[in-house]
Amino acid sequence: MSNMVYLLCSLPSLNFAQVPPISQDEFYHDAEKQLSSKHFSMLERVDLRQMDSDEHGKLKDFAQLYQDLLGDMTELRTAKTEKRPVRLAHLPKSLADGNPLEREKQIMRWQWDRLDDLEAGNTFSLVNVLVYKLRLQILDRLQSMEPERGSQVFESVINDAKTKG
Amino acid sequence: MAGIKIKYTKTERAKQKKILKVSQRMLPLFEAMEKSLMSTINTIAERIDDIRQTIEKNREASKSWLAVMGDSWGSLAEFISVNEVITKPVDVAGVRVQQFERVDFKIVEPSANTPLWVDDAIELVAEQLQLEAEIKCLQDQIELLEEELLDVRARVKLFENRRIPNAKIAIRKIGQKLQDDERLTIATAKVVNQAKLEEAMA
Repeated sequence: MSNMVYLLCSLPSLNFAQVPPISQDEFYHDAEKQLSSKHFSMLERVDLRQMDSDEHGKLKDFAQLYQDLLGDMTELRTAKTEKRPVRLAHLPKSLADGNPLEREKQIMRWQWDRLDDLEAGNTFSLVNVLVYKLRLQILDRLQSMEPERGSQVFESVINDAKTKG
Repeated sequence: MAGIKIKYTKTERAKQKKILKVSQRMLPLFEAMEKSLMSTINTIAERIDDIRQTIEKNREASKSWLAVMGDSWGSLAEFISVNEVITKPVDVAGVRVQQFERVDFKIVEPSANTPLWVDDAIELVAEQLQLEAEIKCLQDQIELLEEELLDVRARVKLFENRRIPNAKIAIRKIGQKLQDDERLTIATAKVVNQAKLEEAMA
């Protein structure tokens, strides 16, 4: 417990859309020193990109968050293919109207808010550490969506395809 | 005409008249062909400009969300690549060229957990690549048509500056020579007759 308190107290606080104040590697490095191997293994498993739906215990809620998002993403894709109105169960309804960048940001904002819910009632627990990792993932991802970088990716995909074609 | 030997015969004159007639008939055809090629090239160039404008329009429309392609969670290049540009041969202004049909893409369907923006990015990249491929095809067409245009222009110049004037000069010179020969023959015959008459008188 004291290790958990120490770890959480030593981590900088995170706000949505800020530049990540700590890298994921630094976070893992600190966490590995303070967490038990069992808890650290759980920390490694929790990921916003991929979560096993069979998770239970502390990870169950995180897996559910991932499954909820996946369900709505599938609905968005299906509705577009079938050219019908979108029926979202969890994500905000306004999601269908924005451009792709706004949409991703809204999804991340939704994930951020859901992490608030998951964290509610927990202080200095493993849940807070897991939430911290996922928030860091969101911030890193947001940070990578930078106009110049995006343009470069787009141009390189076009140019590569033109050369090979 | 300089350096060309002319045979001063009636057969040669007939031959030159035939060359003149054929050349005068061919010249308007080549001039029409030249005009048609120039107009076709201009039309294709305009089409290229239109496509470039569409590309720019798409680029402008996507500018507000292009940043999303920098996403560290999705690699766009893994989802779309060009298999082949499909074209079909057609005759344009009498020249065989390749006409753009479509681009055959290799598209990897996004999985359930692929970020949603990837779908839009695939559509945008496919659209831009189709347009770029069409431009390339049209540029190749212009290249072939310009080669043909050069050839036709050379022919027009050949007829205008060489064949027709040369044939006209040859016809005129042969005509003069034949007239001169005729006069000489008549004069000679007169002299001979005069000599014969004088001989008989003496």
